[in-house]
Amino acid sequence: MGNALFIVWRESAEAMLVVGILYAWLRQRPDAAVGMRFLWGGVAAGAALAIALALVMLGIMSSLSGTGLDYFQLAMVLVASGLIVQMVFWMRRHGRTFKKDLESNMARNARAANWWGLLIVVAIAVGRETAETVVFLYGIGAGKGGIADLPIVLVLGLGAAFLTFWLLQQGSRVLSWRTFFRVSEIMLLLLAGALLVSGVEKLIGLGVLPALVDPVWDTSRLLDDSGRIGGLIASFTGYRARPALMPLLVLAAYWVIVSTMLGRVGRPSVSSTPPAKAPNVVRAPDSLPRAGRH
Amino acid sequence: MVAIAPTQRFFPLRAILALAFASLFVTPALAEDPPLFKLVARDGVFTPTVIEVPAGKRVRLEVSNEGKTPMEFESRDLKQEKVIPPGGKATVTINAMKPGEYRFFDEFHEKTGQGKLVVK
Repeated sequence: MGNALFIVWRESAEAMLVVGILYAWLRQRPDAAVGMRFLWGGVAAGAALAIALALVMLGIMSSLSGTGLDYFQLAMVLVASGLIVQMVFWMRRHGRTFKKDLESNMARNARAANWWGLLIVVAIAVGRETAETVVFLYGIGAGKGGIADLPIVLVLGLGAAFLTFWLLQQGSRVLSWRTFFRVSEIMLLLLAGALLVSGVEKLIGLGVLPALVDPVWDTSRLLDDSGRIGGLIASFTGYRARPALMPLLVLAAYWVIVSTMLGRVGRPSVSSTPPAKAPNVVRAPDSLPRAGRH
Repeated sequence: MVAIAPTQRFFPLRAILALAFASLFVTPALAEDPPLFKLVARDGVFTPTVIEVPAGKRVRLEVSNEGKTPMEFESRDLKQEKVIPPGGKATVTINAMKPGEYRFFDEFHEKTGQGKLVVK
C-alpha cells in the first residue's frame, strides 16, 4: 500500500511541479484569466493523453507499434524539455517588459503563440507520467486484493499530489516572490535537464545515438539511483549513478548553453536592486500590491 | 568589398553537423542481429533473476509478462523503461557494456521484482 501510494505521488509530482509553478506565476499577472484557460486546457488535454497512452501501453489500443510508442515517448520527452526551458526564458523576459508589451500588438500575438506552448508543456507534463500511473492502478485493480484497494490508493495518492500543489502555492506566498521565482527557475531547469538525459538515453536504447563509454563511473554506493530517494533525485535532476558518456556530454552542453543564455537575458524580472538604481528596468510585477495575489 | 558567401563562411560548421548526423547512422548499420536473451516476469517475479551476457557486445533482451498484472521493466543502469501489459512481450536492445553488474527491476512490483544482468 505504502509503495503504491509512493508511486502515485512520484508519478504525479512532475506534473504538479510544472502546473504548480505556472499557476503561481500566472496568478500574479494582469492577464491571468487568459493564461489560466490555457493552463487548465493543458491539464485536460494531458488527462486525455494519459488515458490514450495507457490504453496503448496496455495493448488495448494498438495504433502504435512497439517502436512507434518508443519514438512517441521520445518526442514527448524532448519537446517537454525544450518547452520548459523556453517557459523559463519567457517568464523572465515577461516580468520585465510586460507593461511595454501591452502597447504593441506584435508582442501580444507572440504571447498568444506562447499560450499554446504553455498548453502543450502542461499537457505533456500531466499526460506522460500519469499514463504509467493509470496502467499501474489498473494493475492494482487486476491484482489480488485488487478492487478494494484501488479507491483508497487513488484517493490518498491524489490527495498527496494536491498537497504538493498546495505546498507550492504556499511557497509562493510565504517566500518572497523573488525567492520563489528563483527556486522555481532552478527546479524547472533541473527538470528539463533530467528530461533531456532520459531522451538521450532513449535514443541510445533505440540505437540512434552511441553511448560512447558506458558507464563512465559508478556512484551507486554513494547515492543509488534505483532507490526511492535516489530515484526521485534522478527523475528531477538527471542524476545517474552509472552514467554513460553521451548523456553526460549532452547534459554538460545543456547547462553551459542555458546558463550562458540566461546570463544574457539578465537577472530575473524581480531584481534585488531597488528600481531607483536600475532606471531602464520596467517595474516588475512583484512590485504590485500583494493583495492582488490572494 | 569582398562578400563571403554564407556557404563558405559556415562550411566548417556545416561539415561538422553533417558528420555528426552521418555518424548517427553508423552504429545501427554496423550491428548485425544481436544475440537474444529471454526474461519472464510474473507479477513481480523474474525468471531468471540473473542473466549473463558477453561484454562489449550489443544484446537483445526479450521480456515477456506472463503475470496477471501489467509490469514496467525499468533499469537506469541499462537505460530502459518499458511498460508491458499482461500477456505482452517487449524486446529491448542493450548497448555494448563494460563488464559488471547492471540491475533491473519491475517498477510496478518493486519489492520483489528485482534482477540483474551480469556482463562478463
